[in-house]
Amino acid sequence: MILHPSILALLLSSLLISLMTLYASCYGFQILRRWDIASGSELQLALERRTYLISTIISYFLFFQLVSLFLFIHTADSICQLFVGAMCAVGTLTVNSFGYPALLLKVITFLMAGLWLILNHADNKGYDYPLIRAKYLLLLMMAPFVLAETIVQGSYFLGLRPDIITSCCGSLFSQASGGIASDLLALPSIPVKITFYLSMALTFAAGARFYLIGRGGYLVAALSGITFVVSITSIISFISLYYYEMPSHHCPFCILQREYGYVGYPLYGLLLLGTVTGLGVGVLQPYRSKESLKKILPALQQRLTAISLICFLIFLGMVTWQILFSNLKLEGY
Amino acid sequence: MISTRDISKVFNAGRPNEFTALRGVSLDVRLHETTILKGPSGSGKTTLLGLMGCMARPTTGRIFLRDREITSLPERFLTEIRRSTFGFIFQQFNLIKGVSALENVMAPAYPTGEKFSLLRGRALATLEMFNLGDRADAKVEWLSGGEAQRVAIARALINNPAVIIADEPTAHLDTRLAHEFIGIMADLKRRGTTVIVASHDPLVYESELADRVVEMRDGRVVSAENRP
Amino acid sequence: MAIVIERHRHIIDFTLSSLLRRKGKNGALLAIYTLIVFILASVLFFTHALRREAALLLKDAPEIVVQRTLTGRYQPVPTAWGDRIGRINGVISVRPRLWGYHYDPVLMANYTLMVPAENPPEPGSIDLGSGISRTRGASSGEMIAFVGHDGVPRMFTIRNILDAESQLLTSDLILLSEQDYRDFSGIPAGQATDLALRVRNPREYATVAEKITRMFPDTRPILRSEILRTYDAVFGWRSGLLTVIFSAAALAFVIFAWDKATGLSAEERREIGILKAIGWETSDILLMKFWEGCAVSLTAFLVGTILAYFHVFLTPSPLFAPVLKGWSTLYPAFRLTPFLDFGALSTLFFLTVVPYTVTTIVPSWLAATIDPDAVMR
Repeated sequence: MILHPSILALLLSSLLISLMTLYASCYGFQILRRWDIASGSELQLALERRTYLISTIISYFLFFQLVSLFLFIHTADSICQLFVGAMCAVGTLTVNSFGYPALLLKVITFLMAGLWLILNHADNKGYDYPLIRAKYLLLLMMAPFVLAETIVQGSYFLGLRPDIITSCCGSLFSQASGGIASDLLALPSIPVKITFYLSMALTFAAGARFYLIGRGGYLVAALSGITFVVSITSIISFISLYYYEMPSHHCPFCILQREYGYVGYPLYGLLLLGTVTGLGVGVLQPYRSKESLKKILPALQQRLTAISLICFLIFLGMVTWQILFSNLKLEGY
Repeated sequence: MISTRDISKVFNAGRPNEFTALRGVSLDVRLHETTILKGPSGSGKTTLLGLMGCMARPTTGRIFLRDREITSLPERFLTEIRRSTFGFIFQQFNLIKGVSALENVMAPAYPTGEKFSLLRGRALATLEMFNLGDRADAKVEWLSGGEAQRVAIARALINNPAVIIADEPTAHLDTRLAHEFIGIMADLKRRGTTVIVASHDPLVYESELADRVVEMRDGRVVSAENRP
Repeated sequence: MAIVIERHRHIIDFTLSSLLRRKGKNGALLAIYTLIVFILASVLFFTHALRREAALLLKDAPEIVVQRTLTGRYQPVPTAWGDRIGRINGVISVRPRLWGYHYDPVLMANYTLMVPAENPPEPGSIDLGSGISRTRGASSGEMIAFVGHDGVPRMFTIRNILDAESQLLTSDLILLSEQDYRDFSGIPAGQATDLALRVRNPREYATVAEKITRMFPDTRPILRSEILRTYDAVFGWRSGLLTVIFSAAALAFVIFAWDKATGLSAEERREIGILKAIGWETSDILLMKFWEGCAVSLTAFLVGTILAYFHVFLTPSPLFAPVLKGWSTLYPAFRLTPFLDFGALSTLFFLTVVPYTVTTIVPSWLAATIDPDAVMR
């Protein structure tokens, strides 16, 4: 294994997060079984106290996971020279088959934690803990992903040995090699651009509609999810090109580096925030009819929609700006 | 009206030191009146005060505040109601040490997010009402007994509560201070504040203040007598 | 919105005043926390900076260096071989290099002698690295003597003292002319220390290296990327090792923090009880505890990091230099180029703030869920 401090830090933090989640899940399980809001028994009081602990744990978890996501990419980037052929994070992540799954799991657990916190926020506003079951079911669903992330990340790092031939951005993301990644690039840029802007437009439309007349919450969530996937694809396919000003550099991780002004951080940050709030609208939708939430939920969902749209808008603005003012001209190429 | 319907409170249920503080208490406390809970220590007065004042939940039974049931409200809602409706005066005053009188008075309102300057102004005004304006910045350790008492009362008033709850307020006071306290309560009563006091001090339950005296023993209400 | 902000402000105010009220207890914790951050940050900054130095060092290094071996050890390479190698497809240029080590028994130090590609000194004069200049007490214009391969001392005039961007690179360096070097070291004409190659395409390094070995079986082509990788692995290994050792200290700290957090004094317990009784809710107390943790962590992190920065970049880092540099007896008083990045800071964060925070979550929660009516009794 490569004994790099950042790797140790990542392993440690994932381990701690897993332990915290397991701890929370045990109590979550108990809460699901024994919760009875009408009872004044000591068990109920203890369970109510316990919910504070769990929401505190998950709040911290969300923040740590976000930092860990970026640190993971940063570390992969900085150890790339230990592997022949790896020029940046992409190369490092392909050294063994656990690299990309670890990244994916980090993103998934981050989104799930964000959704949990949104549910929790709504639950706290109702005078009878209306979403308690939903919350803890989500927690129990989230726990396996968190554990999986720790295990997969651990396997990835433990399986890293320097001097393994791997592919670098150039060949993984170039048109020559196979796999999904290069298929993304074989797509001519105009259709991808159209898909990107179209998905954004649809998301804005659905979001505005929901904001104004309160209908179509599920649509907002679905479109947020789609926009997330389309945006990441677009970053790889054409957006990153405009930042690197090179028609063949498709790497999604290099924009996180210093030489591009760390622009990747706000871009991905906005995308993640916009997606999680958009998805949150959908997650809350089934509970609109609950008595204690009737008055509060619509307003909360509106706020979430607004945040989501603003994030996507800023993202769109930044990206379009770069496309318009970059030295690269892609069409006609 | 604050109503309790057949409430019980059991501590450490199922364990060797299980203790039942209240058994089947049903009591109505009318607003704008002064109710005195009388009885020896261990009779459940303090527990009943805590339950009526939204500080705890009963093990069984139901509690209504102005016709709204508050028994199974989550803690944050209960606390919000308590903060805005009730003001507590404790036996030992329970002022926060190391902190000034003014800050002690402002403390209950911190979670409400009221603008600092406004809050400070109100707190000072309340202290001045008790002639403590010039002692506002003094640390509570340096206050005399009487001054501390008045700060405790001022603190209870900061959120303009409809109900004042006092638990054995005169237990550690000499006669002069006890009379002073009763005088302040009478003043509040005149302004329409509901007052509920738990006390086994005859000075309190035999004073003009009392509209109703409820006697308790062993966690039950023994008698409830209206004073004309 | 303003309400939310004001609420936070009030609670932060209260938290800070409460921390200051208990200076003694919090002071000890803060001091140890800061120390832990300081040590770890120093290790991280140091190795990070060294890694960058190494990268800088090798930035202009030739992509491939060809050495010749005999019985598995190094021997000089004939310059004529350069012509054949230069004709390999993909090789842009071949340059024979002349350089070597020299041991000074008086100072027990190793110097590196080199014939630079550009602007070599005149025969009879040399450029001296700042480390040597300092230890031998010689400066520009003066004469200095070194004993050559045959035991005969030779006098040189010092032309320049080297003061390059990377002191790690030049501190123990002596630059001289080809004629002087061959005379000094005994390398005969027609031979060089090694051959430096520039190759057009990084993807062809492996192919070119292979061809060279087939052409001249007793050569060893060394790729720059391999050197960098080795340096990196060594630095990484060393710093990783230190980190692991250090984690024992961190564990002790965490246990200490846990102890402090769970051992709420009666006074603190009373205070929280009062707060809850007068209208603070569990989440308000949790918020207070959160800001408490934040204040402590932030202070320790900032102070520890700033001190480490000074320690590593503005002083000779007496604590770590030996372990982490570790091979030369000549310790140049070199200054590392200051460099901070997200990676180092977030690693530091995960190794210090996160464990501390995790240990205090449950004790904070226990404190926050104190029953308000406990204070009534």
